[in-house]
Amino acid sequence: MIWIIMICCGLATFAARFLPLSGILPAELPKPVQKAMQFVPVAVLMPIILSGIFISTDQQIQIDGNMRIYAAVIAAIVAITTRNVIATIITGLLCLWGLDFLF
Amino acid sequence: MKQPSPTFAEFKSGILDELPLQAGIVPFGMVYGILGVESGMSALETFMLSSILFGGASQIVFTQLLAAATPAVVLVSSIAAINARHMLYSTSMLPYLRHLPLRWRVVLAYLLTDEAYAVTIRRYIDKPHNQYMHYHLLGSGLLLFTVWQISTLAGIMLGTTIPKALSLGFAIPLSFMAIVIPLLKSTPQIVAALTAGVIALTCQSLPWNSWLILAACGGIIAGMISDRLTGEAA
Repeated sequence: MIWIIMICCGLATFAARFLPLSGILPAELPKPVQKAMQFVPVAVLMPIILSGIFISTDQQIQIDGNMRIYAAVIAAIVAITTRNVIATIITGLLCLWGLDFLF
Repeated sequence: MKQPSPTFAEFKSGILDELPLQAGIVPFGMVYGILGVESGMSALETFMLSSILFGGASQIVFTQLLAAATPAVVLVSSIAAINARHMLYSTSMLPYLRHLPLRWRVVLAYLLTDEAYAVTIRRYIDKPHNQYMHYHLLGSGLLLFTVWQISTLAGIMLGTTIPKALSLGFAIPLSFMAIVIPLLKSTPQIVAALTAGVIALTCQSLPWNSWLILAACGGIIAGMISDRLTGEAA
């Protein structure tokens, strides 16, 4: 079963990468589709970011004693100032380890 | 002195342009490998997903949704939503690649990831065009593919030896943050992000792990409404 799911996900991904190059689609996608596509990255990534920060392993929103929130705020500042993915990841992880160690 | 062939020159510059990004790809691939095994996938399944799906962010979400016993339909549509952004890349590559034979377009589409797109589109826009420039994408894409497979393998082998207390999974929201923050430049984009975020947090306990696909759809709709209202270009 898992292999079928993996292959379906692979096909869906390949379709997204190939369809515009295939020549099957019209050269210009309809305006509303183009508009909708612009929001895909933030609409998909933001939920993953926020649930990665706020949701605990038992699927509840965790605020009290959640060191990921503080680590994420500091990492966000680094992301805004440096725009560097690696610097953001390293800062965030170091902050989380430090805060977990201290508190 | 003999001139290097123009195809090889393009191929090589694709590889060289892609090279610096590998500093981020190696740890990303290793984190995926570690999380894959941690989530209960076998080593073979974890490794094969790196070539079947070949998309870092979506592979990590795959492991997490799978571990949370998400139904197949929700899992596949969540992954499809995450990777729908590749249509944008493919569309913007169309003017440079449309003349190629089908087999070339199939291979290049398969290799069209965030990182390969990022460096190759810059070459297409910035430097003079020639008839061999699809070799640039082949070079950047193949390098990324190779490094991704090797780092996945390294992560799988490290796998269970990495203590869970290191919270390596936290690297995922962090890396997405660095991608999303520069995109939040217009009101509609911010509205889309906030709406998707709020839906994701409030719908966590809905059945079938449907929060991700619901949040994505909600965010896109909110962004389009805001775009219509503000008349601002996103």
